[in-house]
Amino acid sequence: MRLTISWRTSGKLAGLLLVLAVLVLLPLVIRSPYLIHLLIMTFIGVVLGMTFSMLFSTGLITLGAAAFYAIGAYTSALLTLNAGLSFWLALPLATLMAGVIALLLGSIIVRNPGVAFVVITFIFNAVVVEAAGGLRQLGGWGGILGIPRPDPIPLPFYGPVEFITKTPYYYLMLALLLLIMLVFYALYNSRIGRAWRAIKLSPALAETLGINLYRYRLLAFVIASSAAGVAGSFYAHYFQSIIPEAFGGWTSIYIQLYSVLGGLDFYLLGPAIGAAIMTFLPEFLRVAKEIEPLITGALLVMIILFFPGGILGTLRQFPRLGPASLSARLGEIKNWLLSGRNLR
Amino acid sequence: MALLEIRGLSKYFGGLAALSEVDLDVFESEILGVIGPNGAGKTTLFNVITGLLPPTSGRVRFKGEDITGLRADQIARRGIGRTFQASVLFGQATVFENVFTAFHMHYQQPGWKAFLRAPSARAEEELIRRRVMEVLEFMGLAPLKDELAMNLPHGHQRALGICLALATNPKLLLLDEPVTGMNPVETTTMVELIRKMRDGGTTIVIVEHDMRAIMSLCDRIAVLNYGRKIAEGSPEEIRNNQQVIEAYLGKKK
Amino acid sequence: MLVNGLAIGMLYVLIVLGMDMILRGTRILNFAHGQVYMLGAYAFYFTYLVFHLHFVLALILSGLAMLALGALSYLGVFGFVQRRFTPGTPFSYRLLMSAMASVGLMMILQQGTLLGFGTKERGIPSIFPQLLTFGSVRLPLERLFIVLISLLLCLFLYLLFFKTKLGKAMRAVSFDAEVCSLLGINTFWVYLLSFGIGCALAGIAGAIVAPVFSVSPDMGHGIITAALLVMMVGGIGSYKGALVGGLVIGLLSSFGFQFLGQLSQVLLFVFVIVFLIFRPGGILGEAHD
Repeated sequence: MRLTISWRTSGKLAGLLLVLAVLVLLPLVIRSPYLIHLLIMTFIGVVLGMTFSMLFSTGLITLGAAAFYAIGAYTSALLTLNAGLSFWLALPLATLMAGVIALLLGSIIVRNPGVAFVVITFIFNAVVVEAAGGLRQLGGWGGILGIPRPDPIPLPFYGPVEFITKTPYYYLMLALLLLIMLVFYALYNSRIGRAWRAIKLSPALAETLGINLYRYRLLAFVIASSAAGVAGSFYAHYFQSIIPEAFGGWTSIYIQLYSVLGGLDFYLLGPAIGAAIMTFLPEFLRVAKEIEPLITGALLVMIILFFPGGILGTLRQFPRLGPASLSARLGEIKNWLLSGRNLR
Repeated sequence: MALLEIRGLSKYFGGLAALSEVDLDVFESEILGVIGPNGAGKTTLFNVITGLLPPTSGRVRFKGEDITGLRADQIARRGIGRTFQASVLFGQATVFENVFTAFHMHYQQPGWKAFLRAPSARAEEELIRRRVMEVLEFMGLAPLKDELAMNLPHGHQRALGICLALATNPKLLLLDEPVTGMNPVETTTMVELIRKMRDGGTTIVIVEHDMRAIMSLCDRIAVLNYGRKIAEGSPEEIRNNQQVIEAYLGKKK
Repeated sequence: MLVNGLAIGMLYVLIVLGMDMILRGTRILNFAHGQVYMLGAYAFYFTYLVFHLHFVLALILSGLAMLALGALSYLGVFGFVQRRFTPGTPFSYRLLMSAMASVGLMMILQQGTLLGFGTKERGIPSIFPQLLTFGSVRLPLERLFIVLISLLLCLFLYLLFFKTKLGKAMRAVSFDAEVCSLLGINTFWVYLLSFGIGCALAGIAGAIVAPVFSVSPDMGHGIITAALLVMMVGGIGSYKGALVGGLVIGLLSSFGFQFLGQLSQVLLFVFVIVFLIFRPGGILGEAHD
């Protein structure tokens, strides 16, 4: 567990740039819209997972990430449908709304870390879903339909980019994801991130060192929830319809799962890997809808029991699998082939 | 005027009086010892002074300002640092990272500048890194800077705790049992270090059971028993104080 | 209507007492508690209707079955999870690990029940279909029975905690587990029994409710939200708070539902949040953290 995140080897940076390049070029190669859709859902999942991670980096466990996802989605939907605003204006406004509500709620509940926080965020999530379903103005249980697509973006040489196929949505969400990741990364590497992790490891000690627990926790809560709002706004205009059930407690639990699966200590890559696996795995397993939660539950228990560090955490324990040693290993194999001697 | 003035400080846990009407003054640049049998309320005293526990009644004044009831981080910002009895550290972080975090209060550049990696912010970070190494070298922990705090042997954990407190650049440093559990060699080193700290301008209050360390270090000593102050004075006076001897009946001297 | 509210209230009390016991005893926030409640109902269904046992016996067996389930869960899952913790592990990490494990169990139990027993709701004929009539007031005996049993259980718990050695050990452990193990108390058994008894409470709650509401796999979901709500209002981990909070929420929802229908849910939640603004600790405050 490091207080500062640093590139361990330049290989790591290269690896990530490679993945980025692949992601950028992917839609040009892949023809299947379904695959693009899965990737888009993964991107959304990563953002939401990072929400949970940011709060966990402060020692707070939230079961209400989906609530702010919902707030972003509903605000954006209503602003475009009822107020006739463009998506490009609705997005920042929805984010702001999520942030403001997080500020109001957070200022009250952040004082009670621990079990109280988990329970309150869980209840808040339930409240939001109930309100969305119960109030006709918010669409009721049938939800809101017919949410407009984002307005076309005029690009200099290309002409206007219209949001009709999935591809423009893909790039938009990817851009949003990267932006959020960069912001989060900068935060984690700063004095703020260090304060967060100090609070997580030992709140009493952190306080003695002059760290204002309340302020830093609230900051994390507001920033994380705003990010969830961004994802929500995008989601509303991508699916063009939203129903309250999509934002329920289950979703929040899955969001937690992304972080746990990927690795709780990895605030950016953990949710990325976790979201990717949880989004794609059901596709590969092709299991019936009934069995899926059973497998997910069993998977969860297995992870907690045997791989509490998540995927990345477990890999970290085996330095022989890291990228740096991988190239070292390849070097060894090359030498062995050339000299005919035993591999050590 | 004393650096730290405590008047009528009481702390009740339900019906139990951990502290009862304690009056105490700490003068600048002195080393004050606080001793007493186990359970006398010494750590509670520290906890109340530093804001981790609110007092039931009484007042604490630091540099003339009433700090009673302030939050722990507010008190830390005003220049009071402390160590803990049990090793309270950021266990899963390295020694270097522990101390680096402890310099939290020293950042002058505003947050957004660090956010954007502005040169002034980076320079400040460099400066702080150097100061971390200074503190580590002062306490003799420099070679261990990349070890995880939870893997350190007991004595080094104690030293690290003091590093953290020092990093906050305190005017008043509260040391809770700094040499307990140390062998004579380590104890002597620590005693030297504490003297050096005082010579550097820090006022020190020590809670300890090790009488030799107390007697050799302290300018004055206060004695607590059952939450009350039963004696105060020079080491000589305390050594010969009848009440103190009775309170410690059976304890080694 | 009043009795209905009381019955629901006492029901919540039982469930939350169980969760509190688990929380205080083992520091685990058990999200699978709703499923234990549901399985208790199923156990009652089977012992009473299928095996035709006397309803009291069926009740007891259901409770015991859930105790066994709880003990097994602790043995198989939570025990291992908790054994890994060192004194240096941050509280947030411990909470998350055990809570997530319970979520996993919740999913397994939920889907397992769905697959094993199907989605069909099963009804159990009322054991006490009579109505007591006091003048113009008609009280359903069934609900009174629920209240009665719940009170009996509360009494039993009180005796357990304050009169038996085990109870004292449980209280000590919930206060400071490390010191207890140093004092020679076998904390493992305390954890095991805390978890088991907590689950037994939920199981019995499910069993006594089974004849009133029908037995279906959905029972778990709604009850856990209500239970957490009660915990919020009464104070996390506070037994007295569970009693008071459960009754308050039970009565409120009963009356609210009567007058406001579905919307009462939302209003109830809003009420709780507003309540929390002014009394962050709940009615009786947080017992400990």
